[in-house]
Amino acid sequence: MPEWFTRFPQALSLDIKKPIDDAIEYMVQNWGGFFDGVSDTLRALLLWVRTAVNIIPWWALIATVFVLTLKTSGRLSRALLYAGLLLFVGIIGLWEMMYATLTIIVTSVILSLLLGFPLGVLISFSDRASRLVRPVLDTMQTMPSFVYLIPAVMLLGLGNVPAVIATIIYAMPPIVRMTSHGIRQVDREVVEAAQSFGSTRFQLLTKVLIPQAMPTIMAGVNQTIMMAISMVVTCSMIGATGLGSEVLKGINRLESGRGFAAGTAIVIVAIIIDRLTQGFAKGGVEHAE
Amino acid sequence: MKNRKIAWLCVLTSLMMMLFASASAQTAVFGDAGWDSMKFHNAVAMLIAKEAYGMDSEEMSGSTAITYNALKRGDIHIYTETWTDSIAPYQQDVADGKIIELGINYDDNIQGLYVPRYVIEGDESRGIVPMAPDLKTVADLKDYPHLFPDPEDPGKGRIYGAISGWMVDEIMRKKVEFYGLDSLYNYMDPGSDPALAAAIVGAYEKGDPIVAYYWEPAWITGKYDLVLLEDAPYEPELYLKGECACPSIKLTVCVNPEFYQNNPEFCEFLSKYATSSALTSEALAYMNDYDADYPETAHWFLQQHPELLDQWLPEDKAELVRSAL
Repeated sequence: MPEWFTRFPQALSLDIKKPIDDAIEYMVQNWGGFFDGVSDTLRALLLWVRTAVNIIPWWALIATVFVLTLKTSGRLSRALLYAGLLLFVGIIGLWEMMYATLTIIVTSVILSLLLGFPLGVLISFSDRASRLVRPVLDTMQTMPSFVYLIPAVMLLGLGNVPAVIATIIYAMPPIVRMTSHGIRQVDREVVEAAQSFGSTRFQLLTKVLIPQAMPTIMAGVNQTIMMAISMVVTCSMIGATGLGSEVLKGINRLESGRGFAAGTAIVIVAIIIDRLTQGFAKGGVEHAE
Repeated sequence: MKNRKIAWLCVLTSLMMMLFASASAQTAVFGDAGWDSMKFHNAVAMLIAKEAYGMDSEEMSGSTAITYNALKRGDIHIYTETWTDSIAPYQQDVADGKIIELGINYDDNIQGLYVPRYVIEGDESRGIVPMAPDLKTVADLKDYPHLFPDPEDPGKGRIYGAISGWMVDEIMRKKVEFYGLDSLYNYMDPGSDPALAAAIVGAYEKGDPIVAYYWEPAWITGKYDLVLLEDAPYEPELYLKGECACPSIKLTVCVNPEFYQNNPEFCEFLSKYATSSALTSEALAYMNDYDADYPETAHWFLQQHPELLDQWLPEDKAELVRSAL
């Protein structure tokens, strides 16, 4: 049997590692100013969100969760449970770290929605754009994070800024997909009815398509938030602060208790945010109906 | 259609089982805790395992904590570069016989706080003027917090620290406090070794000032011109309080006890395995310059230093390796 049949032929080889390395080195050396600008902008936003989050006193946050849960689910027991779980995060000494984590999540989610929602609307109108964007979204979700985290650190420095960028890359696809999906699903007859009443394209979009697609879009928002939370530990490996770095310290020192405590806090945060946003999505459905 | 799928599944499963079966034959498993000098030493030992002892070997990677625990459990058999001071339970484990310390790989390494040379002396070729000509010691850092600003906390400086979980991290934190730098600087936990390395490389390529913990031998300290900030001379009692320079750490070769009993000849070689910081740096520099992988570097290294084979191996085995090279 010829060699090339059983083994991959050595003649077919292309080195793509070196050009990528060179490109990154070039970017670090020559585009430093541009990336410093990006970095400063993101940092300003982060500091602003941090200030905003830190203004909320602990009891106000617990009270808000209590009231919102009561309103969206209408069940007192559930509202008490979530308020109690949140209180538990404080009791195990992780309240401030939770705020640091929330800062990163909130910043990343705001930016993901700002970028992802318009993109989703855009690709819902064009099949060609949709075909082009889809593999990009797939790449964003499947490329192992550390692959782009390390160049991001070289360009933007260590800390919360590259963490936000990494989180956006991972968390943005759901809102793009679900927005596009939701708008495409709107009944043709509804659209035609609106058009026959003489609505402009903008009116059609804002008064018919988006409201009709709202439940699907809210499901996308919910998924985006959940994916942002799932990046918390990965981000701590590039110096992001908060619960993730507490988990990492627990792992690095083989202190299982420390890891579990912080991990539990992440789970609590995730469950509460998930149920609340789902509640809003359902509320949106009732409203639309 | 369905039958075909099932047939494919069967073929795949049996292929995978064959793969697993071949991997489970007695192979020596080397621990790879993630840094390159260790991977290089693994590659050298693996080359010798194959050529001199006809042993198959493989590497298993993970964090220090996880691979070290696997060494104790026997999932990993060999650790070629154990940073004894970085692993808190090490002394106890050796005393209890949970792992066996075969010998010292090398013990002339350095670690501490580094700044790029251009920070102190400037670099004419890159148009960098000296930023801190009088910065020599760790204590001098108190004059320069403005030079190393923390972007997330303006007004304070930033020191890139060691990786949490390494014992030296605690020592570095105490050092920052001892020199009164904690009110001027934030000591930053970089999260992981690659992130710390990327931060240093990024700053260096841009020509930005940075002060960071690192160690030698490593490709970073080999490739980039970094200056170790001086500290008080090493004293055993002061070291753990962070009040003096870090001593050279004993980097040992360790094996799992069961592996030790089953492979006396190979462990005999491992116990004689000894290199130095200079030799390791030389190999890592070669690897970086020629874009070689670890096995290629190990091959080149043994060609360059055939005398090591005579120190490590009995005559006949050394000859086997030499002829393979």
